[in-house]
Amino acid sequence: MTLLRRSGALREQNHLKGHLPAVNGHPSVVNSHPPVVETIATTVLAFKFSDGVLIAGDRRATAGNVVMYDRADKVLEIDRHSVMAIAGSPATAWEMARVLEHSFQFYRRSQLQEMSVEGKVRALSKLLRDNLGMVLQGVGVVVPLFATYDHGADDAAKVFFYDAMGAQFEATDFAASGSGGPSVRSILYYENAWGKTPLRELDQKGAITIALRALDTAAESDTATGGIDRLGKIFPIVKIVNQDGITTVTFDVLSSLFQGTLSPS
Amino acid sequence: MIDEPYRWVEAIANRREYIESELAPGSPTLALSCEEGVLLLTFGKDRKKIFEVYDQIALGGIGHPGDIERLRMMAIELASTEGFARSVSDVSLRRMATYSFSPTLKQAFEQIYGAPYLARLLFAEVGATPVDDLFVTLDYDGAMTANSMSSGKGRDHFSVISGSRRSAEQTALFLRNEEVGPLSRTLPVAVRAWGVGLYTANEDHADVPLGDELKNFLKTHLKAYSVEAALLERKPKTRIAFTELGEDKFASILAEYKE
Repeated sequence: MTLLRRSGALREQNHLKGHLPAVNGHPSVVNSHPPVVETIATTVLAFKFSDGVLIAGDRRATAGNVVMYDRADKVLEIDRHSVMAIAGSPATAWEMARVLEHSFQFYRRSQLQEMSVEGKVRALSKLLRDNLGMVLQGVGVVVPLFATYDHGADDAAKVFFYDAMGAQFEATDFAASGSGGPSVRSILYYENAWGKTPLRELDQKGAITIALRALDTAAESDTATGGIDRLGKIFPIVKIVNQDGITTVTFDVLSSLFQGTLSPS
Repeated sequence: MIDEPYRWVEAIANRREYIESELAPGSPTLALSCEEGVLLLTFGKDRKKIFEVYDQIALGGIGHPGDIERLRMMAIELASTEGFARSVSDVSLRRMATYSFSPTLKQAFEQIYGAPYLARLLFAEVGATPVDDLFVTLDYDGAMTANSMSSGKGRDHFSVISGSRRSAEQTALFLRNEEVGPLSRTLPVAVRAWGVGLYTANEDHADVPLGDELKNFLKTHLKAYSVEAALLERKPKTRIAFTELGEDKFASILAEYKE
């Protein structure tokens, strides 16, 4: 075994054991080369509220225990009604977002109709599946969230989450991903089940406040999540998807809502 | 036989005559700058004639649907390939028209054993201000006109294609008297300009029609047509500028022409 490992023929597979691969940090590759420390990220979340879907993400990108960047945009607009929030390796995820964006638009322009939500969700699934080879080598894992608005569907606001192999799951109320995902998932579950107002009944202000609080909580115990840096004026990216399209919540709104959270009147 | 220069010129002339006669019934299609962006408008009877090409580029075409379709796909593929390989900001209508469309059309037109494109195209690219809007028309023989050189001297804030040269020229004369304004003011102007285009396409109508004459003409003819329009927004919410304008946007304007 040791010989196989040393020759690179057998690799430690620790990073594939966890529920979310990114949780375990960079993979431990045992061979003669120094390990490649991959830039990874994140806590991202999405949930349905009274006016559509809120989708948000912190802004930190890390490589091992080094903070690479504190202003990364992990909540990416794909088309007029679709947003992808990425957790994992930005190198792969941003490329996936670009491929998706171009293929959805190419489809709409050439076929003169919008791609179905099912088609879009499958397209992302296929990209994740194609990336599996890289993931097994320990680099480039991406576990995204996908939020969109399905005109004509009864429950028009849609949230999907994926695993690293490309399985797609539709979330009833909320989803979270990334290294801070588990704590955010707990918070959203708690708020939805036991909080004052179920997530779906929240107004926009309430929804944004919960998103900020959840990301702040995730950052408290997860070094790969940036949370809210009030000194550096770095707030998470928060977007809202509804029938009118996508709205990015401005810095001022985020800032004032968060201030309100700190000193409730 | 066709190797003789005279025969070749004759064949080309015949082909030109044939294509012109095929294009003649085409409904005028126009693009106009307004404060909110670029308006594209035509009236049609059965099929779509205004299309999105890329984030800031749209296309209007008259001619054979099969040829328009081939050219439309070529435009979308060119723009998308460039935008994906490099950046969205590297996609340029001027380059696309000059380096790709004009040579392709010219070659197809002059290869007299092959089929030419039966199409006349109008491309519009929205800019940061109305002065930056670019309109390019391309004819079946590859002839290309733009609303200005890049230095912007003597530029027009509109462009028109039509079944006949005279109709396009008369519509341009009509539009040259109009100024860039808000969309609400541009919509009725565009409808009247289309009327001028259709009116002067008839060889018995020599000049631009005056007030009531145009109104009555539109009243009679609009019965058979449906409006088709799109706006390339100057400041879109996302990167995509193209929005189709539904018939509801024209309800009050067209009410004027109902009997």
